[in-house]
Amino acid sequence: MSSSTSDTPTDGELVQRARRGDELAFGKLVGRYQRAAYAVALSVTSRHEDAEDAAQESFLVALRRLDECRSPDRFAGWLMTIVRNRSRNLVRRESLRETDQISPIARSGVPTPDRVFETTELRGKLQKALQQLPEVQQQIVMLHDVEGWKHREIAERLDLPAGTVRSHLHFARKALRVALGGDPGESELKRKAQ
Amino acid sequence: MNGMKNGGIGGRDELGRDMELAGLLSALDPAQQDPNYWFRFRSWVVESAGPELARRRLMAELTVVDVMSSWARAVLPTAVLAAAFAGLLLVRGAGPAPAPIGVEEMLVSDVEGETIPAALDARGPGATVVFASEVF
Repeated sequence: MSSSTSDTPTDGELVQRARRGDELAFGKLVGRYQRAAYAVALSVTSRHEDAEDAAQESFLVALRRLDECRSPDRFAGWLMTIVRNRSRNLVRRESLRETDQISPIARSGVPTPDRVFETTELRGKLQKALQQLPEVQQQIVMLHDVEGWKHREIAERLDLPAGTVRSHLHFARKALRVALGGDPGESELKRKAQ
Repeated sequence: MNGMKNGGIGGRDELGRDMELAGLLSALDPAQQDPNYWFRFRSWVVESAGPELARRRLMAELTVVDVMSSWARAVLPTAVLAAAFAGLLLVRGAGPAPAPIGVEEMLVSDVEGETIPAALDARGPGATVVFASEVF
């Protein structure tokens, strides 16, 4: 995502422009990494609302500290560190409060009741399966299989050796298959996900 | 959540993604239920970042001259006031000049008992050599 053509500015270029207060550049950075930030936050918090809050706050923190980003071309990795730290802090605070979980659909859209039930059920099962994985494996499988990040990009941005990323990905997939495969509703899950 | 491709169940795309898992995990994407989710997410972040972005724009527009002039604006009036106050103190403190003190008086001003000029007076001009040898 940081390599680009002349039409697509690099992360480094966007960071430099955002440092000067360029709203468009900052908006592009947010658009480029909002899904990844959310995925990483979700792997830590396991709750939609918390992941959303942590990801959004992380972008604002990143902007305030943008001058501390020593390698603007490696903005993504720097941002993911902020996301992880914010998410962990939030989980720590939440664990003190122990509020009841609010349905992920509470803030979004107006889907039909059947669809709400199906999606909520599916999300619940997926999150349960994901939660059985170590945090880093959740992040890797989400960033690779969902976000489409390459092994090299994940390694660079999560500050891990490339071999470790491959290994984590392998074990994460295997564990997810076991977790989801053991569920008699797996075929139904697949159908719903289509 | 991003750029899902139509891969078969259990298949891999050109990036090596497991499309079966990707399909399942995409259910965690909030945009599945709300297509405008990511647009709103970004809008919220950019809007909330408005004051910080404005501050950064202001800082970027400032030149060295601007910085110096803003510094001067604050410092110059203070310096002028301080100089005026100092001048006032000098004027008010200026009274009649004290009477000049002779060197001999200064030398004996804190000496108790008979002063050197008195001793010199008593013995006359010829006693000067005696005085010097006693003192030094």
